[in-house]
Amino acid sequence: MATISEQPAAQPREPLSDLLIVDADVHVHESPAALVPYCDMPWRVALENISGVRETYLDIPSFSPGVSDGSYQAKFPTAHEGARMVHSPEQMREELDEIHVDLGILFPDHLLKLPVLTQTEYAAALARAYNAWLVDRWASVEHGLLGCIIACNHDPDEAAREIERYARHPAIVGVYLPCAGIDPLWGHRRYDPIYAAAEAADLPVLLHSVTVTHPVFPFNNHGFDTEMGRHTCSHTFSIMANVVHMVTTGVPVRFPTLRIALAEAGVSWMPFIMQRLDKEYLERRRDVPFLTERPSHYLKQWYVASQPIEEPEDMADVARFIDLFDGWDTTMFASDWPHHDFDHPSKLDQVPMTPEQRRMIFGENALRFFNIDARGRRLAL
Amino acid sequence: MVEVAGREIGVFNIRGELYGLPNICPHQTGPVCSGRVVTGSLRSTESTGWKTEWVHAGEVIVCPWHGLEYHVPTGQCLAYPHIRLRRYAVDVDDGGNVAVRLPTRRVRSA
Repeated sequence: MATISEQPAAQPREPLSDLLIVDADVHVHESPAALVPYCDMPWRVALENISGVRETYLDIPSFSPGVSDGSYQAKFPTAHEGARMVHSPEQMREELDEIHVDLGILFPDHLLKLPVLTQTEYAAALARAYNAWLVDRWASVEHGLLGCIIACNHDPDEAAREIERYARHPAIVGVYLPCAGIDPLWGHRRYDPIYAAAEAADLPVLLHSVTVTHPVFPFNNHGFDTEMGRHTCSHTFSIMANVVHMVTTGVPVRFPTLRIALAEAGVSWMPFIMQRLDKEYLERRRDVPFLTERPSHYLKQWYVASQPIEEPEDMADVARFIDLFDGWDTTMFASDWPHHDFDHPSKLDQVPMTPEQRRMIFGENALRFFNIDARGRRLAL
Repeated sequence: MVEVAGREIGVFNIRGELYGLPNICPHQTGPVCSGRVVTGSLRSTESTGWKTEWVHAGEVIVCPWHGLEYHVPTGQCLAYPHIRLRRYAVDVDDGGNVAVRLPTRRVRSA
């Protein structure tokens, strides 16, 4: 772990506060009570019913059920703020200013677990309510807070209608594809209406998981002794499994202009998955006859959010990873603020980079991915 | 927490002994001394047959940002042997005031 005092002397860089920084992954905090006014009947009655329930972090029964924060093991006293939340856009703006972020891309808290709900209509109603609340209360170009609407995996046709509903909203810049506990994985053809709607709306899709223990690969992780084991294999294995399925069912070929990003799995897995899929392709091209190029050709066009950025002793190793997947124009800084494992931008800034690479990773790649200008305005409208 | 010459320093009283540590975590600049909990930690070694023991009771702080643990009396980061917070000398003068001593700047000889 390179410490501040051990940084090698480099040519002077402009301070982070002077750099345009787009943060590809920050989290709002939605609660049952907050969504009540936006929720259709009869589901609104259920949200009202649980509005007073005490919340354990990102774990409210009948809203965001299932363990995801160490509940399967002993809990010792700590000062680690494992349950930081942001309750208002004003708070978010202030806290993002402290970490030098100009534009933040908004994701949910509780609804990271949307796929584990078993009731299709309820899940779809929650997604609609979240999207309406996000647009009404949070997303604002003026405040540099740009939203991703959630695509409810349970009902792809309904999710496509939601995408169409917000396709031209100035403060909506993407579609969030929830991955935690999802079954089937995002390559399945039942999700095609979602990709079609996003592509037509010129909205990119972003895959984002969270740690849950759920009887579906790769979330059947109860066998690990520790939360460390579960968390190590949660976002990472989820994103990789979804990526493999999307490539091997031809999503990038059937939706050739759809922009796709992967969030919260770091960057070091990209060279592995690209190289592994390319090796498999030599032997198994017949499995994927719709691909006209090797898998890495498509993956090199997908974007990757940096958090949680790997922290090797020599941060130049991170640059080596990025070289290996040709990621200098597809890697986007992300903090994951306010979550327990967020990245301060100063950590990514320890990676040796040219000034141009630095500008790209901290902001310009994200502007291109979301098709926005430096003030967060959508260029396609 | 005190501010001395532009630096925030966390002052800790552990069983009557005073310690001062900088309020910047070497990991990602988090406010390492700002957590309101001074606790212990866990150890498991071959000498006890790998049984998990509670150690350093009342001597460990945890950085609020990412949970890195530091042993206050030595400044030692429990996760990384090569990381140790610098310690500031803290004592009580005759008037009963708590004083944090900053090292004087050393002039390098040519």
